[in-house]
Amino acid sequence: MKKVAVIGGGPAGMQAALSLVQMGLAPVIVECSSALGGKLKDWHQLFPSMTPAHEVLDELTGQIADAGVEVMLHTEVEGVTGQGVTLAGGRKLEADAVVVASGFDIFDARLKEEYGYHIYDNVFTTVDVERMLNKGAVALHDGSAPRRIAFVHCVGSRDEKVNQKHCSKVCCITGVKQAMEMRTLFPEAEIFNFYMDIRMFGPGYEEMYQSAQQDYGINFIRGRVSEASPTIDGRLQIKAEDTLVGRPMKMTVDMLVLLVGMKAGGSNAKFSAALPGGGITLSSSGFVAPVDLFAGNVSSGLEGVFYAGTVSAPKTIGESIDEGAMAALRVAEYLKGRK
Amino acid sequence: MEMTFYSGFVIPFIVGTSVLFAVILYKYVRWMARLPRRDKLLVWRRMFSVATLKGLWECFTECLLHRRIWRVNPLLGYMHTAFALGWFLLIVVGWVETVAYLGWRFVPLQGHIFFDYFTQGMDHGPRWGIDFELIMDILLLYVLSGLALAVFKRFRSRSLGMKRTTRLTLGDRTAMGALWFVFPMRLLAESFPSQLPLWWGYSIALGVFFVAMPFSRYMHIFTEIPLIFLRRWGIRSEAGREKSFDHFQLEACSRCGVCIDPCQLQRDAGFWNVQSAYFIRDRRYNNLTRYVADNCLLCGRCQRSCPVGLELDTLRLGSRWTLSGAPSNGRFNYARGVDLSSGAAGSGDRRVGYFAGCMTLLSPRILRAMERIFDAAGEPVWWADRDGGVCCGRPLKLSGDLDAARDMMRMNTELFRNHCITMLVTSCPICLRVFREDYRLDTGVDGPKIEVLHHSEYFARLIAEGRLTLKEVGSQLFTYHDPCELGRGCGIYDAPREIIAAVGSLVEPTETRSKALCCGSSLANTAINDIAQVRMAQTVGRDFEATGAATLVTACPLCKKALARGTSLPVQDLAEIIEHHLA
Repeated sequence: MKKVAVIGGGPAGMQAALSLVQMGLAPVIVECSSALGGKLKDWHQLFPSMTPAHEVLDELTGQIADAGVEVMLHTEVEGVTGQGVTLAGGRKLEADAVVVASGFDIFDARLKEEYGYHIYDNVFTTVDVERMLNKGAVALHDGSAPRRIAFVHCVGSRDEKVNQKHCSKVCCITGVKQAMEMRTLFPEAEIFNFYMDIRMFGPGYEEMYQSAQQDYGINFIRGRVSEASPTIDGRLQIKAEDTLVGRPMKMTVDMLVLLVGMKAGGSNAKFSAALPGGGITLSSSGFVAPVDLFAGNVSSGLEGVFYAGTVSAPKTIGESIDEGAMAALRVAEYLKGRK
Repeated sequence: MEMTFYSGFVIPFIVGTSVLFAVILYKYVRWMARLPRRDKLLVWRRMFSVATLKGLWECFTECLLHRRIWRVNPLLGYMHTAFALGWFLLIVVGWVETVAYLGWRFVPLQGHIFFDYFTQGMDHGPRWGIDFELIMDILLLYVLSGLALAVFKRFRSRSLGMKRTTRLTLGDRTAMGALWFVFPMRLLAESFPSQLPLWWGYSIALGVFFVAMPFSRYMHIFTEIPLIFLRRWGIRSEAGREKSFDHFQLEACSRCGVCIDPCQLQRDAGFWNVQSAYFIRDRRYNNLTRYVADNCLLCGRCQRSCPVGLELDTLRLGSRWTLSGAPSNGRFNYARGVDLSSGAAGSGDRRVGYFAGCMTLLSPRILRAMERIFDAAGEPVWWADRDGGVCCGRPLKLSGDLDAARDMMRMNTELFRNHCITMLVTSCPICLRVFREDYRLDTGVDGPKIEVLHHSEYFARLIAEGRLTLKEVGSQLFTYHDPCELGRGCGIYDAPREIIAAVGSLVEPTETRSKALCCGSSLANTAINDIAQVRMAQTVGRDFEATGAATLVTACPLCKKALARGTSLPVQDLAEIIEHHLA
């Protein structure tokens, strides 16, 4: 049976492995962390249906276990070729094809120092909020309930100043989702979203955005927040511009949530550099560049190497799963041709 | 012996010389006439002062010896000296030679230049015990050795210490081509004085060179002289407008290209047509674009290396002002809605005022460190930014919007005066520079004196006065980045180093102090994008990483942000370093 190395055990990697099994191939998932699931492990509920994240996770990991897919945990990958992957320490894992599904990194909000992440107590990222939601412990640093919450969109997305030109795609809807979750937790709080554009591209997203405004009383202000500073009573003062009114504004809030963007995976550059002179090429944003964005959207251009999920661009979980299946199909076609 | 000093071949020379002097005279008279009244008064007042003597000396050391170019590279210096001093001595000794052989009598210009032709058959043996023939031959050889280097430089500039040399205009090529022929033709003609075609060749080469010269980069040969005197008499270019004096600077530029190598936009970001030599060229020939004017970090590295001492940054600011169109007041009313009366008047009475500036406000770690340091020193501070302080105005000035900048300056000045502070501390070198250069707070002209200090100077003072005690936390290795506005801009190099020395040890990168590299994200450049900025930051970052230091320290919030994008080293402001070491 032909062997396929799948780098990364997130939604895309797991689905790729499952589909490969269906096609009679033998996938091996190489995962650097201690468990399968990728970043899905940290999420609480998924937009737009508010499906609990663990339902999706359990479904995928359950199927992986049932199918008896070989999984190597705690294993870093250093390099990729069409004949297999090089693992940390120089060990080689031979394979007939490789699916790179190594995902993305979360933008480090400390780089936007002006928002005070890790400087002021009550500045959080969307990832922190998901974790707090999972623990059932959403509160300010001192344990009290926030009276006014502001979400800042595009932190580390569409921002040249931090080398993140691209749109991370899922943050707008995440901001809407978390604002609604906050409303449920804190019915009395005032909740604001500061945005540049609201990009509601998926099914049910626009409806959710409407509902957030009409049913949940979330305020949306078009304008970027320029800075946050502490007030004497320990709250946060943010400065922004309301670009619809055309006026600068100041607002004092208790909690500031930064909608951190998707950054190209740190391993992309490593994979690309390990194959000088072609193979894995990167786009200007640092994500891997597939052959094209249509029929070749999971092909690397390098024989036997395929992509799936957010390794090539920001994507939703559903899209990542789709690509996992697509990559498996392309691998099967490729191996059939080679016999 | 009756001598007419005429032959057909002298015509090209005579025509060339006449055109040259007519054009130069026209230009200089026009520029001088258009100097503003204030500048003219300066000329009259200082013309008969020691400044003129100093100017004479500078003409000798710079126009003839080219001392500053020697410092760039000895071979490059030799080349320039050979041309300038060699040619000058050929003219002077040639004149003495004429007197020696023909006695005191009128000899027209061509008689001096083509002396060997007109004195064929005359005994050229030594006169007054001096072998003029030999001296003139040696001088000619000297010039020819410079020429050989010049030709060599065109093809291999690197061996003369320049990675890149300037690209030439048509006028430059014509003049340079003619110049390359002048001295070899002279050598040939004087070797075979009876060969008329050789004299024709020599005369034509001279004529073409002289006609092309005022329209080429060789205009610098003469123009550096009035420039030196005008500068000695106190005349300067201005950031807020283009001036008649600018012409002297523009045409004194020889486009030698010494400014190209230090330019990081060229080295790291791949911009080849925006360096000062090209900016000056474009402005001189009236085809300056907004793009070229704006594509400059104003880091001052080229100005520091310019052998002619041109005010490159000021000239560029003047052009930005012109190209930005009509005064923009009202286009953006930045001051709208700012309430200067917030905070009780006099609340900063006899206190230190602290002006964070926008970049520090965007770097809250620095702000928090400042707060803790003021506390530790027991300094009661008046916070300008909390009581209505507006932008310092420097970003507007750098973009050529001087009117709006003046609005900001007026508002801040009024604020400082209302609150009666006696000292103004800022952690931003960009603000510091405009406070020192434009606000005139410490002159006492329009109110009591307010001393302006950068936070590094203020800290150094606190430490010296014993108001701030620092403890050593292990033996830490720091490296330090000189911000352009602080170092080359305000001349502050030592205070930050003293502070670092007080808490750890310092390792310097290869290019430091007045040669320090720019972080790449200067506010002054509005033409480049983020990718170019990061590329520059990465090059600078590698330099710092090579020092082996554990922490990169800088003293500018903008540099801090910029460098953090280009290096894996932790980047901290001086204030943060001090905060960590507060006893």
